[in-house]
Amino acid sequence: MAASLRLFTVLGPAQKFQFRIFTKLVRPLSSGSNQYDYDLIVIGGGSGGLACSKEAAQLGRRVAVLDYVDPSPQGTVWGLGGTCVNVGCIPKKLMHHASLLGEAVKGAAKYGWDVPQETKHSWEVLVGGVQNHLRSLNWGHRVALKDKSVDYLNAYGTFVDAHTIKATTRSGKETILTADRFVIATGMRPKYPQMEGAREYAHSSDDLFSLQKPPGKTLVVGASYVALECAGFLTGLGYDVTVMMRSIPLRGFDQQMAELVIDNMVSHGTRVLRGCVPQQILKQASGELAVTWQRQTGGPGSAVDADDSDEFSTVLLAIGREPCTKSLNLDVAGVKMNESTGFIVGSEEESERTSVPNIYAIGDVLQDRPELTPVAIKAGKLLARRLYDGATEHMDYVNVPTTVFTPLEYGCVGLSEENAVQLHGEDNVEVYHAFYKPLEYIIPERNHQQCYIKMVCSRQDEKILGLHFLGPHAGEVIQGFGFAVKCGATRGQLTSVVGIHPTCAEEVIKMHVTKRSGEDATVTGC
Amino acid sequence: MAPKLVHVDGFDAVVKALDEHKGSSVVFVLFCGSRTARGVSWCPDCVTAEPIIHESFKKCPDDHVLIHCTVGERNFWKDKACIFRTDARFKLNAVPTLMRWGKPQRLEETQCTDPGLVDMLFEDE
Ligand SMILES: Cc1cc2nc3c(=O)[nH]c(=O)nc-3n(C[C@H](O)[C@H](O)[C@H](O)COP(=O)(O)OP(=O)(O)OC[C@H]3O[C@@H](n4cnc5c(N)ncnc54)[C@H](O)[C@@H]3O)c2cc1C
Repeated sequence: MAASLRLFTVLGPAQKFQFRIFTKLVRPLSSGSNQYDYDLIVIGGGSGGLACSKEAAQLGRRVAVLDYVDPSPQGTVWGLGGTCVNVGCIPKKLMHHASLLGEAVKGAAKYGWDVPQETKHSWEVLVGGVQNHLRSLNWGHRVALKDKSVDYLNAYGTFVDAHTIKATTRSGKETILTADRFVIATGMRPKYPQMEGAREYAHSSDDLFSLQKPPGKTLVVGASYVALECAGFLTGLGYDVTVMMRSIPLRGFDQQMAELVIDNMVSHGTRVLRGCVPQQILKQASGELAVTWQRQTGGPGSAVDADDSDEFSTVLLAIGREPCTKSLNLDVAGVKMNESTGFIVGSEEESERTSVPNIYAIGDVLQDRPELTPVAIKAGKLLARRLYDGATEHMDYVNVPTTVFTPLEYGCVGLSEENAVQLHGEDNVEVYHAFYKPLEYIIPERNHQQCYIKMVCSRQDEKILGLHFLGPHAGEVIQGFGFAVKCGATRGQLTSVVGIHPTCAEEVIKMHVTKRSGEDATVTGC
Repeated sequence: MAPKLVHVDGFDAVVKALDEHKGSSVVFVLFCGSRTARGVSWCPDCVTAEPIIHESFKKCPDDHVLIHCTVGERNFWKDKACIFRTDARFKLNAVPTLMRWGKPQRLEETQCTDPGLVDMLFEDE
């Protein structure tokens, strides 16, 4: 292997073809699929695609990965690594952290630090630091692919048939490539509403993290976690932010927790408009964006009682995301997708197999699977091991922990209270809960009203069905408890653990008040 | 015309060369161990990497500059307090290191002896 890699590296791109022949000779593992250019072509170089392609290459396979970023309507593009690295988890968490630092500085005076009353934040410095880090990650991914001998093509992939793909570069150059197997890992992109001015003037999360100018007064449209996270950190950075939502926040999450997240955001300074649907965005001579919306105070679907409008410097659309499957020409390959949503439906026996036996899908494009980076990565690695290493382990999509990085973080694992009740019946579900006060909030008199935990248990055997934590560092807290839930832990087992004092996480272990009892859930004393 | 290869020796010289090429062009810097009395670098990876890097650089556009900097003799470099290691602009961990100046692209040690990676560094924007 090492010798063949070395040889490849001394050949220029022009000799690629000879290299192929050479690898065919030295890689006996690949036999049986020599009629194709590659054993595996992965379409999409994001979280899932990179993990899968590297794993397959390490198992001795000839692998290529295609990654191509369609410019956003505002013209934003980025490098290798997909959503998480460029326009998702990473820049989002860094900006969230920037916002938390501002909060910490505000409270620091009460802890004795001599900080100026008015602190200023530079958007340009933040974006510069964030983008610089992202560029180094892009480079790291390119180096990693080369190191592992995965061929990387910065080209858009479309199927020609079940074993053939057309790769088109930005300049329009087309290459036809064949492979024994394909993995579709093309992810999702933000949805745009049919609204005047949306594509022309609005931004999405694809643009926000590289925005050259400070966003100024911002309207965030949507109630997805992306909408709330962006609104939260923009407020924390000092901008005037309004969130406009049509119906419920954080659909799919526990709704009591979601409402507490919103309450906290409001007390943190974000304006929240509910039951509102934007109608139009117009650009004023001043450069500001005039937004008109309809208000339905009777809830979604009710009669419109008023039209309202206001001016904003930035409109951020975060109404949802849609899978990038429509222009893959899936039909010519025979791959079925859900026609209305565009998601690829995995087969019964193997979640990642499509309707065509040699074509697989991982990550965000799969229907009814958590849209999270670690999920895409794990599914990609496991798939490669099953395909090329005789492994049998399948991806387990149940009890995947996650965290919403709003100013007060919300982490959870397992079922929401409403889902547990729906599945098991109200009588069979016991919910423990607690309102607690983080120690470090007391001296600076920070708002702790929404610091809340609840544990949803089966009433018979006390098995933990779901755990929900709203508070500082929720992501760090829930990761460990996620392990317990994954192992099928009961409340009894959890309470047998000794807490770490003084922390917020210990409140999870100490919880003893049930909702059913109606007792006050406020934690008191030490 | 061809892309410009500049040889400098030591910290002050590389800072000066970087200053001279500020702004106008795409600048790469290669840090290698200095030559010993035997005429070759004391660092074996540098010996392997140098011709590969010089060869690959020839394919670059004319306005590109490669500053080839020798960092000094072995004992000077091995010192944890060596200025090439501590200076915030360079923060070197290893020789050879090839970097695109002002950008995050960087290759270290045996990565610099891989023509594929070296080509990629010169091409990547
Ligand atoms: C704002 C935001 C914040 C997020 N925060 C988190 C978080 O905190 N934690 C978390 O776990 N997840 C988070 N996510 C979700 C996470 O980013 C995704 O779940 C993850 O990136 C999915 O990986 P993937 O491999 O399915 O697709 P992606 O990472 O989206 O990669 C797909 C790649 O394929 C490319 N592509 C598409 N079509 C083609 C084609 N035809 N040919 C070639 N290339 C193509 C795309 O350009 C892209 O580069 C966030 C997402 C967003 C938008």
